[in-house]
Amino acid sequence: MMKLIAGKTGLRTLLAGLVMVLLAGDALAHGERAQLASMRMRTVHWFDTKVEPLNVKVGDIVTVTGKLVTSEWWPKHMPSIEETVYLNIGVPGPTFLRLHSEVNGVPMMRSTAFPLGKVYEYKTVLRARVAGRYHVHPILNVKDAGSLVDKGTWLEVAENDSGAPFVNEITTLTGETIDLETYGLDGVYTWHLIWIAMGVAYLLYWLIRKELFIPRFIRIRELGSDRANELMTKKDFVVSSLFFTTALALILGGYLWAENKYPITIPLQTGLVEVEPIEIPTGGLEVVVDHATYDLAGRSLSMQLQLTNNSEGPLRIGEFLTANIRFLNPDVNEGEIYEGEEMVSKDGLTVSVDTIEPGQTVDVELVASDALWEQYRMTGLIHDPDSRFAGMIFYYDENGERFFQEVGGAVLPNFF
Amino acid sequence: MSEANASGLAETEVKARALDLKSLDNPRAMKLYRRFDGIIILVLFTFLVLGIQIQFTLTAGDWDYWIDWRDRRWWPLVAPFSLLLFIAPFTYGIWERVRLPIMATAVTTLLCLVSWLSRYLNFYEFTHFPLSFTFPSTYIGLGILLDCALAISRSLIVSTLIGGGLFGALVYPINWSFMAPYKVPVEFNGMLMSVADMMGYQYIRTTTPEYLRIIEESTLRTFGGSVTPLTAVFSALCGMVVYAAFLWVGYKINGLDKFTKRIV
Ligand SMILES: [Cu+2]
Repeated sequence: MMKLIAGKTGLRTLLAGLVMVLLAGDALAHGERAQLASMRMRTVHWFDTKVEPLNVKVGDIVTVTGKLVTSEWWPKHMPSIEETVYLNIGVPGPTFLRLHSEVNGVPMMRSTAFPLGKVYEYKTVLRARVAGRYHVHPILNVKDAGSLVDKGTWLEVAENDSGAPFVNEITTLTGETIDLETYGLDGVYTWHLIWIAMGVAYLLYWLIRKELFIPRFIRIRELGSDRANELMTKKDFVVSSLFFTTALALILGGYLWAENKYPITIPLQTGLVEVEPIEIPTGGLEVVVDHATYDLAGRSLSMQLQLTNNSEGPLRIGEFLTANIRFLNPDVNEGEIYEGEEMVSKDGLTVSVDTIEPGQTVDVELVASDALWEQYRMTGLIHDPDSRFAGMIFYYDENGERFFQEVGGAVLPNFF
Repeated sequence: MSEANASGLAETEVKARALDLKSLDNPRAMKLYRRFDGIIILVLFTFLVLGIQIQFTLTAGDWDYWIDWRDRRWWPLVAPFSLLLFIAPFTYGIWERVRLPIMATAVTTLLCLVSWLSRYLNFYEFTHFPLSFTFPSTYIGLGILLDCALAISRSLIVSTLIGGGLFGALVYPINWSFMAPYKVPVEFNGMLMSVADMMGYQYIRTTTPEYLRIIEESTLRTFGGSVTPLTAVFSALCGMVVYAAFLWVGYKINGLDKFTKRIV
């Protein structure tokens, strides 16, 4: 569905044209469930998503930050994020202004490309524009693949105290300070009124006459096509010439007037920007996936892993993340949960070996289970064309420092 | 059937036509005709509004919705193409039958009115986009030029060359009178952007990411800095060709009534 919407015009525009209703953006709400389970598990892993503050007034600043890892198990049948991607934010239309956005410190006004298997830290700064209650989702628009949607966070925007109209001022390079909410509209209205008046006047000239469609049809049929032009009078000729001249003069005059008033203009700017990816800061844990199964009835995914601790100290697995769902290991009790954060299963992860000592190689079973599995339609994995899974494991050293890396591979259903 | 006059018409048909002509002097008949004419205008204009709205949305939609899509290269080509292919068949039919050079003005004026209605309701009221970001373009002046070229020359061929050409060439100039302020440069995060680009960035569109914009892509750019006049020339040529092609379509459609006459 997401693909259809983002894929441009198509059916949506046809409907929009017919009923003249355009739901720009609204269709995205809760898109987290609409996508294929495999697409959510193996595209990007969003984590540390933080929206703050959660209660603001119109005009206030809201900051959305987080990280994402591009999956090494990116589905082959899907256009890759390594081509073109745009960091976006899922709010219902311009209920917020986007003041700033960046990935790994690089401003993101344009589209970019993300190599796979790397970490990207993003930040989007918004300014509340329209009061309401919104489910804010970070989004990546991937060219030809559609939108990848992170989980949402509810955010409450109240009217501002003064009730003054919203202004959005910027300063141009020519030194003018302008309010983008209404900028240029005087000219737009004036010229549109001029042209509409011209158009209506022209139509009235031709349509208000004693003999219109049927009488003219009868006369032309009588005259025959060779003499049909006799219906065009001298007055018609003069009036048309006047309209022609006036229209041409207005077009050229308006053009020259605008050129004179705005001598410095530039074309629309476009093109890709480049982002330097960050390597995943692994903590010396080597992970080999033996096999993985998912339980259709039990709403769980279990992974048999062979883990080798190459680091100096003991390591403990605290969290498994897939499809934006966090499964936390209650025994480790690490991993911050942010205010308003959704899709967290606080005791969803069981790990068969609690601590992996330095130098040790052990077989470990990880079981991620929760009702969220079903709620977010992860059981749909069975409909997947290539039956693979991917996710992130987060582990901690004895000082509580967090490391993460991606795991993935083939996955089989378990019917018992 | 057996008796036909020189022009190949049956005698009954000739009689009927003479009666029709006489009726033009009959005030009661004329009153009836005027009523019918009113209905024709109503039906025709309703059809035109719906038709052009759908046609233009499907073909030139995003270029006309957002000010940061109206570039120098694609929009001045897409918009006249989309409009002319709709206008031409109607112009042919109406010109051939009743000699009224009004279709281009009618279509562009109706499109303008319905676009304003749609931008105001759907974009401004319903989804909170400022009108400064989503106002429609105008093509009414181009419609007038096209219609007047026909009215003055009384020739579809001449009007194609002059009117079709001007229609294509002047899309950018006619809108520049109020579009120029949106192309004023702004510096943002160390990058050069136009005011329109800035609006496209700030006013969030979740389903229209930046890369979807089809703007400025062309090999013509290699000819140097003069993109706008080059596009205008190219667009004028396209205007003529499209207009001519769809006049021919109108001619073909018009010819279909021969079959209906035979059926009746
Ligand atoms: Cu949501």
